[in-house]
Amino acid sequence: MSRPPETTPALIISHVSKRYRDGTRAVDDISLAVPAGVFFGFLGPNGAGKTTTISCATGISYASEGAIKVFGHDVMRQYKQARRRVGLSPQEFNVDIFAKVEKILEYSGGYYGMTRAHNAERREALLEQFALTKYAHTPFMQLSGGYKRRVMLARALMHDPDLLILDEPTAGVDVELRHELWAYLEDLNRAGKTIILTSHYIEEVERLCSHVAMIAGGKIVADGPLAEFTNDGKTLESAYLAITGKKQPDTSPTPATA
Amino acid sequence: MKDLPSINWTGFGTLVRSEIERFLRIATQTLIAPWITALLYVFIFGSVVGSKIEEIEGVRYVDFALPGILMLSLVTTAFAQSSTSLYFRRFAKHIEELLVAPIANGTLIAAFLLGAIVRGIIVAIGVLCVAVLFGAANFEHLFLFLFYIVGVGSIFGLLGIVVGLWAKGFEQLNVLTVFVITPLLFLGGVFYSITMLPPVMQTAILFNPLFYFVDGIRYSMIGVAEGNLILGAALIIGLNLALFGWVWYLFRVGYGIRS
Repeated sequence: MSRPPETTPALIISHVSKRYRDGTRAVDDISLAVPAGVFFGFLGPNGAGKTTTISCATGISYASEGAIKVFGHDVMRQYKQARRRVGLSPQEFNVDIFAKVEKILEYSGGYYGMTRAHNAERREALLEQFALTKYAHTPFMQLSGGYKRRVMLARALMHDPDLLILDEPTAGVDVELRHELWAYLEDLNRAGKTIILTSHYIEEVERLCSHVAMIAGGKIVADGPLAEFTNDGKTLESAYLAITGKKQPDTSPTPATA
Repeated sequence: MKDLPSINWTGFGTLVRSEIERFLRIATQTLIAPWITALLYVFIFGSVVGSKIEEIEGVRYVDFALPGILMLSLVTTAFAQSSTSLYFRRFAKHIEELLVAPIANGTLIAAFLLGAIVRGIIVAIGVLCVAVLFGAANFEHLFLFLFYIVGVGSIFGLLGIVVGLWAKGFEQLNVLTVFVITPLLFLGGVFYSITMLPPVMQTAILFNPLFYFVDGIRYSMIGVAEGNLILGAALIIGLNLALFGWVWYLFRVGYGIRS
């Protein structure tokens, strides 16, 4: 069932910088607004600051400067309200690898304050949705890469968040599952969930996202609707390479040498 | 989902449950091993060696040594529970599932601490069962006994949290146990009366906080005390408050857990 449209932006990042103890400035005075209900692509080369930005928005890290709001709630001062509306599927499998799939979901729901009955109902639905029912009692470490990725997504969705942040959700996933996940994510977005997606598969972002931001060297270098990047018949990939200062590889046939 | 109460009790209960289920999953290492160690201590020091020793402070040696053995098991178990759990969560990065959840730092600390105390109490109950086999389980002051079990278990659970946050490798988890806790415990009168020591050592031992823990629990069990019980109780309360404050500060600044 669709939810009423949310007018407050899902995520506002205002002049956020993150410095690590060794002095590295991972992100530098970035500002970004993600409207509610959009499918938002967040692109950048490795080490550009994507995961750091996500970490600051979700509570894994604290920003050194600036402010971040999730649906109007400051992630530092109103962290409980902010965090309960965010679901994160991180790039790395950050779970107890010895725990069984069902337990991973059960604990996650519990951490978000779900009642026992609601937790069980939601868990069952997600296990079925992600074809995990037969692996419910399997330890995470015994699953294949694709099923591990499904568990990560199911866990992120356990508390039914309004903002879903997916950091490389299809990394290491086969083509069939990738298409299956795309369809599922599109359904979620249509149902009103805001989705922020980082991916190295630019065609994935181009297919799914309506808005795109690009980060390079810890700074936001482009931000806008997808159409702005793909006008004049350009692909998102060529726009990305041009904006981030990477050269497009020469794919023209190599002339034969005499 | 309903609005969360000011304290996320469900989150707290879930984390405590996950801590308990984790140590039950590896019960051979977390429960059975300390019980066997305690059994060996009670058998060797209590029965084999103890049968050759005259009474100490008017009680059988096995009765005198048992509270010390109980304290030894409690301290090492509570410390191991919180330190390894937290370190493993950091190592495998699944501490992040707690950091993104709407749970206050104080609630997280309390849950880790309760997990450590519960494991300490389960081990202590096992040691008492062993003691029953040797006819050595007495309770002169049951409430005082509970105060010492919970109070001392809490101190070492909190210390375990500090080490779990600080350790950069598995080897460092044992540093405090090997170089500080075990020596201070053994020098704190676990197996002997301080009256057996030379006068200089008798004075020096009064500066060892673990002596007061062993002495206090011994008093609660057999009614024999060698130190100042009020000072011991004040030490337990003071150390708990100071360590909780320290751990809370470390969580607040994200030391070891938030990059």
